[in-house]
Amino acid sequence: MCGITAFFAYRSTAAAPRREELEAITARMIPRGPDAGGTWISPDGRVGLGSRRLAIIDLSPEGAQPMWDSAGELAIVFNGEIYNYAELRASLERGGARFHSHTDTEVLLELYRRDGARMLGLVRGMFAFAIWDTRTRRMFVARDPYGIKPLYLADDGGVIRIASEVKALLAGGAVSAAIDPAGAAGFFLNGSVPEPFTIRKDIRAVDAGTSFFLEEERGRVDVRRYYSIAEVFARATEDHLVDPAVFVRERIDESVRHHLVSDVPVGLFLSAGIDSSALAQIAARQTKLHTFTLSFHAFSEAPLAERFAKELGTTHTTRLVSPKELLDDLPRILERMDQPTIDGVNTWFISKAVHEAGVKVALSGVGGDELFGGYPSFKNVPRIVHFPRLAHLAARARRHPKAGQIPTHAKTYGRAYFLQRSLFFPDELPHILGEDMAREGIEQLALLDRVDAVLDPDPLTAFGRVATLEASLYMRNQLLRDADWASMAHSVEVRTPLVDAWLLRQLAPVLLRGDGKSVLGSTLPPYLRDRPKTGFFVPMKEWLDLRPDGTTTRMRSWARRVWESFA
Amino acid sequence: MSIIFLVTDAYGGHGGIALFNRQFCEAIGVPITVIPRVVRGEIRDVPPNVTFVAEAAKSPLAYLRALTAARRSKPELVICGHLNLLPVAFNRPLLVVHGYEAWKRRRAALGKCRGVISVSALTRDRLVGWSGYTGPTYVLPNAVRLEQYGIRPKRADLVERYKLEGKRVLLTVGRLDSGERSKGFDEVLDVLRELPEVVVYMIAGGGNDFTRLQKKAVDLGVANRVVFTGLFDERDKPDLYNLADAYVMPSRGEGFGFVFLEAMACGVPVIGSKADGGREALRDGELGLLVDPANPAELRAAIVETLARGERRVPPGLDYFSFGKFAERSRAILSAAGIAFTS
Repeated sequence: MCGITAFFAYRSTAAAPRREELEAITARMIPRGPDAGGTWISPDGRVGLGSRRLAIIDLSPEGAQPMWDSAGELAIVFNGEIYNYAELRASLERGGARFHSHTDTEVLLELYRRDGARMLGLVRGMFAFAIWDTRTRRMFVARDPYGIKPLYLADDGGVIRIASEVKALLAGGAVSAAIDPAGAAGFFLNGSVPEPFTIRKDIRAVDAGTSFFLEEERGRVDVRRYYSIAEVFARATEDHLVDPAVFVRERIDESVRHHLVSDVPVGLFLSAGIDSSALAQIAARQTKLHTFTLSFHAFSEAPLAERFAKELGTTHTTRLVSPKELLDDLPRILERMDQPTIDGVNTWFISKAVHEAGVKVALSGVGGDELFGGYPSFKNVPRIVHFPRLAHLAARARRHPKAGQIPTHAKTYGRAYFLQRSLFFPDELPHILGEDMAREGIEQLALLDRVDAVLDPDPLTAFGRVATLEASLYMRNQLLRDADWASMAHSVEVRTPLVDAWLLRQLAPVLLRGDGKSVLGSTLPPYLRDRPKTGFFVPMKEWLDLRPDGTTTRMRSWARRVWESFA
Repeated sequence: MSIIFLVTDAYGGHGGIALFNRQFCEAIGVPITVIPRVVRGEIRDVPPNVTFVAEAAKSPLAYLRALTAARRSKPELVICGHLNLLPVAFNRPLLVVHGYEAWKRRRAALGKCRGVISVSALTRDRLVGWSGYTGPTYVLPNAVRLEQYGIRPKRADLVERYKLEGKRVLLTVGRLDSGERSKGFDEVLDVLRELPEVVVYMIAGGGNDFTRLQKKAVDLGVANRVVFTGLFDERDKPDLYNLADAYVMPSRGEGFGFVFLEAMACGVPVIGSKADGGREALRDGELGLLVDPANPAELRAAIVETLARGERRVPPGLDYFSFGKFAERSRAILSAAGIAFTS
């Protein structure tokens, strides 16, 4: 788990970046990887690689990055974790490959040598990496299927720079910090900046589940989508031999086993919700576990979590967070926040607790709602699409602020979904961003079309469509991104056994029928199973004493506060 | 001491379950009365310790008569050879479960069983998963008689019949069942296009899914690289395996996967599934490569790797499934169930 960066001055007429820039970008990411760091620039100065490393697998200096293969032909910078690396390594060794370390990093190098871009179908994990191939003078870049690990790119027409953080690219000094109207509009509409936009005009997110090459004179070529959530659902064929409940548990059990690969102790965020409790139950059977729960006085789930942790026999820490601590940490939170978001504060504090306990890796139950249909959207979105007039009337009766939008926004799954998830509405933006930026932002964003585009090919059922939307939009742009920056700020690696491309492929046939959630909770004690869903949030409004504007949610005013720190 | 064994089929039967039943009877070596539901083929090689009540299979009435007689004989132990037969089993039976018949929630009076024998840990876990069964369980994997197989030269008439000269052959043996579709034929066809032209896929077995699979091969443009043998003569089986360069079965429905043992006994390298009992037949990857049937990339890579090595040998670890070991395990289970062995 690390922070990475690379540059390629692909146009011969372009000036190559200086070493100081590479060093500055790398230095910005020290919290992501406090254990070691390194940079490399090719003798001709046209290619550079940089890394900060948090050592999880192979703690020896052999794991240092940028890492070269034994033949000295391939170099890699890699952020993430490959859970099936031992299996892949065995396969490569049977084919004659030789290794000089015990890292998953080196496995990626040899796998690339053997399979090229095809390697991505074999890799189970979360990752963003760049491999410099001296034989072809091409750089291979890839990001994991769900976008768990971030990767950003800036292309000025002569040099392409990539890095794990938007703020790191800015820290190099060569990329403009101009605000992207589309990113700004997206933040106010969604609560997070929707990919591929970022909050900076000249920086774009690398698409999750894609890879490409960087090539001399041509820049980015051979862009390939190797994994699509919509396609997984579209191609799922029903598997009717097995009891769905038994099958789902079996597959999750296996996913957890994969996610426990580590040379260091493993923790788990325990919220007393079904997803994290079920994960704790499964993981505690497989390893010695340290569970962590946050407590905020009035909103505390801590007593339930403590009781459950005791039953499981885990080492348990309840971390009390006070309003004062939140206010004290606020400047640092905003400083480490890579892009504006209305969330992530919870992950900040739980990761802080994990770090204080000397633990480097923590499992999180994020993704359970997307997988098993835990959100209201799984019911509401199909309802709005199929009965828009009814939905409109019902919302009006409840004086819901979004009621008026239903007739215009609800014609497709994508639009209805947007309605469900939006924070502000397009016609509110001029008040916040000013007329020009709002108009330009909304135009460029073409948000509603973008939302519908996620559903290609059609994921077969209503469940498949909403699950795809949730995973591709809210989870990727908000939950996973927040989990990344807020945990990395404390040098903690978050692992997500329920956000796993392989797990989804296995479960899709069962999930399409929509009966998963009860499965996960079925073996939990009643005091956890039968309580209402509460989420895992910090009482921001109360603590920050921000006046809610009374329209939609308390998050709206926090959003403005975050915005001010970026604008 | 008397043991009654209620089975779907055994002698004169085909397939994995009949084979398991025959192996079990022979392995325990003590007197046992076997009552079958069906007898399809010729009854051969019934060992001296076995009383095979073939007439029970003639009609429902005959079956009832046989059951009544068995009940009157006051047996010491009743073994129920299939979950479907549990309703007619009596006397706190020892139940045997094989595969997907026990994978899904269904009505079953498991409470009346004194124990459950499963051919794999997977089938046991799945049964326990939906039923909450808490009684004793035993895992008893299939056995393979190594002496009946072995590495042999490719039989010229078969090479010619299936046009395999100069080809690299992938093989799957199994029934082509349109209701089940779990053998992994589709998955192999899907990756065939991405493999070198010289690789052909031989599907050995009959069944009602043939037309669909053939059409699929045509649609994928690989029809000229797929060989359907149809139903084959059991006696040709070892020779059929010996035609293969790799035995590939990325299945989802195998309780255990006896065919893997047969292929390995012929020295053919195997590729099995992580998602079903094949995993156990391959000893968790010790005896062959395991792939996720849902992941084409993994399957393709495993095939490429196996063909590249091109190695033919009977893996030493296959001994784990020898008949001797099977007999020891069978007897240990009966001892645990309260049957004393004098030998």
